[in-house]
Amino acid sequence: MTPTSSAVEIAEQVRDGRVTARAVVEAALRRAHAHNAELGAFTDILDDRACDRADAVDALAHGGGNPGPLAGVPFAAKNLYDIAGLATRAGSAINRTNPPARVDATLIARLEAAGAILIGACNMDEYAYGFVGENAHDGPSRNPHDLTRMTGGSSAGPAAAVAGGIVPLSLGSDTNGSIRVPASFCGLFGLKPTFGRLSRAGTFPFVASLDHVGPLARSVRDLALTYDLMQGFDEADPAMTKRPNEPASSRLKHMIPGVRIGIADGYFAGEGVARTAVLRVGKALEASRVVSIPDAHAARAAAFLITMAEGAALHLDRLRASPDMFDPEVRDRLLAGTLLPAVWIERAQKLRRHFRDEVLGLFEGCDAILAPATPMLAPQLGQKTALLGGVEMPLRPHIGVFTQPFSFIGLPVVSVPVWLEGESLPIGVQIIAAPWREDIALRIAHQLEVAGVARAPVAAAFQRH
Amino acid sequence: MSYKPFDADALIEAMTPLLQLQIDGAYRAGVKQNLKTAAKMAALVEQVKLPDDAEPAPVYRP
Repeated sequence: MTPTSSAVEIAEQVRDGRVTARAVVEAALRRAHAHNAELGAFTDILDDRACDRADAVDALAHGGGNPGPLAGVPFAAKNLYDIAGLATRAGSAINRTNPPARVDATLIARLEAAGAILIGACNMDEYAYGFVGENAHDGPSRNPHDLTRMTGGSSAGPAAAVAGGIVPLSLGSDTNGSIRVPASFCGLFGLKPTFGRLSRAGTFPFVASLDHVGPLARSVRDLALTYDLMQGFDEADPAMTKRPNEPASSRLKHMIPGVRIGIADGYFAGEGVARTAVLRVGKALEASRVVSIPDAHAARAAAFLITMAEGAALHLDRLRASPDMFDPEVRDRLLAGTLLPAVWIERAQKLRRHFRDEVLGLFEGCDAILAPATPMLAPQLGQKTALLGGVEMPLRPHIGVFTQPFSFIGLPVVSVPVWLEGESLPIGVQIIAAPWREDIALRIAHQLEVAGVARAPVAAAFQRH
Repeated sequence: MSYKPFDADALIEAMTPLLQLQIDGAYRAGVKQNLKTAAKMAALVEQVKLPDDAEPAPVYRP
């Protein structure tokens, strides 16, 4: 197996006995150790655990059992996922003195039950409060396509690990864009499912009203299969749906007849490469409609306020006891969040339902909406400002302007990577569907992948070993 | 409602004793900047007029 092998390819070969899970996992571990100093992808590499699990998968396969649809597939998880035996640091210095987790997070357990093998915990923005992937304690993650640039965050290490060819898939979380932003900057497919679709149990929270979890991958087949295997009710997450599983991977090739695709304008029009990428995807899909999403500015503002306030409430005791142990950027935002008037948050929550109703109405006229994932290509590490609309703006708060309004109302979104002519970096386009219609967004993403419009190669420098 | 500059120091002084929080001098500029951003965001939210019966998003299910 090579760094560019997909999860589906690896699992087929392990099931057929052409390669052992142990050999696949050892190769992934070697890559993780070899490249971590330059990529900053992992905070923990789990050699012993991964090798033990690989041996168990091989024993099952050799004994005639079914080792599962992800047999021997190495994967990584953002370090806010509980991993038995490790303190769940969630990108912080403070949490690493917590007692170790006793059991794995639900999604890790579900992927391992399907034969996949966790090889490490990944770097992230502290407490998931950031879009840049520059961790103040563990150092930055670096974009495999250009090591001087950001991966984006907060699922920074998970994106670096997949784009750097260490693993074919990883687990992230997305409160305001933290899967879709790194997917855009690192050129990956990322799925933020409908709010309540996948279990958050055993993940360190950030904003209970807005937290989602989901996968990143280099192919839509891998993304959809991983998503399917993680579905299912879990009473340990109070936000979870009791809907039956709605698998998407078996339907990827079944395009929806007469599918109606709209391109979001106004607030979401974007500029430069962001706009060009959306138009290119729209042309490939023969998108014929323009969709105006009302109150998007206000929706983004409301998500911003809810995030500040709920994040501050979560961390209040830590802010009292050890403010100097936070990343200063995160600390100052959280401290400010403790002081917001309650009426602002209540209004923001009212706006959330109102905005939901407005946007759901738009799906009567179309099946999916296209919008940029990020306003720009991956910025340089350490960059503080960006030119937006001809004006120099602070970078950090503007990276998520296009992702925040959709996670705000919990819609399913697939971010697809587009490589524009003459550009050495990718940029993502969001495919947004109605609630519980992940299948539509995934089928459209698959169509774009087959047509060559969206693609997620391992970064050139990491393709060979 | 439009955003109007306000005295962030006064807000910090008034609220932090209630919350038993200390906002160190070195943190203050960052906190003030974030409060000003939040106030602009709140003004944007208030621009959308909602009816009295508008229900907030989270619904408690007993």
